[in-house]
Amino acid sequence: MPQYFDRRNLDFLLYEVHDAPELTKYLYFEAHDRETFDLVLDSVTQIADTLMHPHYRDVDRNPPELKDGKVTVHPQIKPFLKAVGEGGLIGAGFPFGKGGQQLPEMVGACVDFIQMAANNGMMYTGLTSGAANLIATFGSPALVDAYVAKMLGGQWQGTMALTEPQAGSSLSDITTTAEPQPDGSYRITGQKVFISAGDLDAVDNVVHLMLVRIKGAPKGTKGISLFVVPKFRLEEDGSFVDNDVTSTGIYHKLGQRGTPAMHLTMGDRGDCHGWLLGEANRGLSYMFQMMNEARIAVGITGAAIASAAYCASLEYARERPQSRRLNEKNQLDSPQTMIINHPDVKRMLLFQKAIVEGSLSLLLESARLSDLAHVSKGEEKENYTLLLELLTPVAKTFPTEMGVRSVNEGLQVLGGYGFTEDFPLEQMYRDIRITTIYEGTTGIQSQDLLGRKMTIQGGKAPRLLFAEIDKTITEANTHETLQPYAKMLGEEIQRLQKVTSTLLPFAQQGDYERFLMDATLYMELFGLVTVAWQWLKQGIVAQNALSDNSPGESNTDFYEGKIQTMKYYFHYEVPKTLGLAKRLQDPEVLTIVKEREVKM
Amino acid sequence: MKILVCITSVPDTTAKISFTQDNTQFNKTGVQFIIGPYDDYALARAVELKEQHGGSLTVLNVGTSDSDPQIRKALAIGADDAIRIDTEPTDSYFVAAQIAEIAQKNSYDLILMGRESIDFNSGVVHGLVGEMLGIPSYSPVMKLEITDGKAEFAREIDGGKEFLEADLPLVLGCQEPIAEWKIPNMRGIMTARSKPLNVVPATPMDDLTVLKKYTLPAPKGECKMIAAEDAEQLIALLRTEAKVL
Ligand SMILES: Cc1cc2nc3c(=O)[nH]c(=O)nc-3n(C[C@H](O)[C@H](O)[C@H](O)COP(=O)(O)OP(=O)(O)OC[C@H]3O[C@@H](n4cnc5c(N)ncnc54)[C@H](O)[C@@H]3O)c2cc1C
Repeated sequence: MPQYFDRRNLDFLLYEVHDAPELTKYLYFEAHDRETFDLVLDSVTQIADTLMHPHYRDVDRNPPELKDGKVTVHPQIKPFLKAVGEGGLIGAGFPFGKGGQQLPEMVGACVDFIQMAANNGMMYTGLTSGAANLIATFGSPALVDAYVAKMLGGQWQGTMALTEPQAGSSLSDITTTAEPQPDGSYRITGQKVFISAGDLDAVDNVVHLMLVRIKGAPKGTKGISLFVVPKFRLEEDGSFVDNDVTSTGIYHKLGQRGTPAMHLTMGDRGDCHGWLLGEANRGLSYMFQMMNEARIAVGITGAAIASAAYCASLEYARERPQSRRLNEKNQLDSPQTMIINHPDVKRMLLFQKAIVEGSLSLLLESARLSDLAHVSKGEEKENYTLLLELLTPVAKTFPTEMGVRSVNEGLQVLGGYGFTEDFPLEQMYRDIRITTIYEGTTGIQSQDLLGRKMTIQGGKAPRLLFAEIDKTITEANTHETLQPYAKMLGEEIQRLQKVTSTLLPFAQQGDYERFLMDATLYMELFGLVTVAWQWLKQGIVAQNALSDNSPGESNTDFYEGKIQTMKYYFHYEVPKTLGLAKRLQDPEVLTIVKEREVKM
Repeated sequence: MKILVCITSVPDTTAKISFTQDNTQFNKTGVQFIIGPYDDYALARAVELKEQHGGSLTVLNVGTSDSDPQIRKALAIGADDAIRIDTEPTDSYFVAAQIAEIAQKNSYDLILMGRESIDFNSGVVHGLVGEMLGIPSYSPVMKLEITDGKAEFAREIDGGKEFLEADLPLVLGCQEPIAEWKIPNMRGIMTARSKPLNVVPATPMDDLTVLKKYTLPAPKGECKMIAAEDAEQLIALLRTEAKVL
């Protein structure tokens, strides 16, 4: 039984709450059933147990090194990539015709969750499958033939190469250039920074999916194209030659040290070849296909690390005796109690459970929308897509921002030992920190939510979401015990709508700075409410199970634990919306730069 | 070469065990089932032998439809087809007789299984099957090669290993390090769905064993913390409570 996630909970969310087997009614997923899903999850757990989790600490302590232009990674990376490549896991979600097994995203999300909970430092395969997916979708048949199978087999690593020193959050400022050649090919020059898995000795080649500006292209995002830029390029005679992508630097990072983050220079010798994917100047919209998946994947990483931290701190709290209970303080002859019996420790554990399981539920909800959008048509497809677009920034941000706080509480449960290298919490605390930064910082996600997703098509996406939430509220109202929570969620939706309608007029007046100045706080409010919806959904399933049949002792414990955590979430976390809503409606403006800068 | 691998479906090693109906029934609710770990080694070696020598690999389970997920895993790992003898596996003799009945009809070259199941741990089924079929059986086998229709294998014995050679057919009870457990890959998982799983009725037999009841070991007592310097209290407790002095 793994010590980094709870399989019973994963099964509950995947099967009982989000009903993954229902997807198999659609032709596209018809080759699957619950047994294939279970087998996939078992296999991944076996890989995670044997090839990932045992090396969690070691991979962190022996980070990649750049020496003489070569990057050496931990020796365990190679067998891991071989196992997942040969196991068919990197491309499991690809269509049958493109080397995959049409595994639903919902199950793919669980696969990622298990792996990242086991060892998030081995963050390689998501990048490869995302990059391969871009080539498979937008590449010419020759490009697809040359790259996709090798990438899905784990022999070649994929990357997403967007960031430049002056273009982090602001991708419109990218300057890496592609110069067209008379023969129709391109030469690339420029620099990319922070490129995860940008170079490593565990694979035979690295394939960068790179955002580049073709010489003479329009300014801004409308002039960005997507290129395939490999480390080694294939010549016509079948040989591989160095493609003039130089590893000029490696970052020494706070966490996630198992994966190198590279500074790359292209075209030092004027010999870096790139291949255009799809049409020129449409690169950013193509890349968004990968980025949206990657954003959900980062949310999963946040929830997964928080899950590992929760498991570790729960185990510790059950075994660590310290102090006596508050009402037995003076009974010094009686043995010390386990710290889990102190209300403050119990609160910290409940907080973690609420964040981990609430986040994972939101992530599976998003993955389900992605699967449904894939298999449906017309207006239905449009609606699923809109809902997914609305939830994507939230599914990236809530599990990561709250995940950071959750791991923080996990570490606190261990007291001084949490601060030492004797326990894994300090590493988890470092590892999770990146998740609110890459794939678009929390600030950028929040602007995307409020500035774009809330307003597209005249606010259709939030209308669809609130209609979904209403269905959950109606269902919860059929259980007397859940009625108070259904009522609370209804009130929260009204509060959120009120806040939104206070802010929208600023956008209508064209004052975007005022509109978005507290977007991050709006995101926090939105996330709290969305996850409250997910907890009510879980509460309904648990309540049904408890009232409909006799679930057996261990299942009763499980479902009661769900109800208890739902209650915790509503009574301890949801009230935080009051402060947020108050601030968001407060007319005082303190953060917008004025003509005369106020001293900090 | 025709290989038969017999697998058990057993509770996960970390499962919480409880009984119902006046301690006569094992309570399966909430319990995760797995392929018996020793059977899993046998299966892994069988897959390798089939890859080397060709032929067919059948898995067999004596059990109810509750075992189907484990059978399907075995198919995903590499078995070609499966037979489930549809009955509750009551005791070792019963299971061995059911296996022998099938084996008699199909004349396998090699019958592999784990050295023991990890639920009842009797470790006698391989011996019984060999006896019933009138062919040799060995256990626990930790290394196995097949060359020119002969098996060369190593068996763990007290204080060392024994190296043996025998003609096929054979029944072997296996253990690590005969092979490394195999993890089903995506392709295997998908093809397992279309591989045949033949469910056959059990051969009627008299029950030789009557199960009266199960009992669990006494729960572990609460841990008492004694100050490091208080050896006297420790001795007193070992005398009066633990009663080991
Ligand atoms: C370990 C690691 C791995 C990475 N992997 C990759 C990778 O594989 N590929 C890749 O392309 N990139 C990668 N990145 C880069 C990452 O995506 C960027 O660091 C991130 O997008 C932020 O860009 P920046 O660092 O330039 O920060 P900046 O953009 O300078 O942001 C600094 C701060 O200003 C805020 N800010 C910036 N603009 C605005 C605005 N308009 N409104 C409000 N606030 C704003 C940000 O929210 C942030 O708080 C990685 C980074 C790290 C650290």
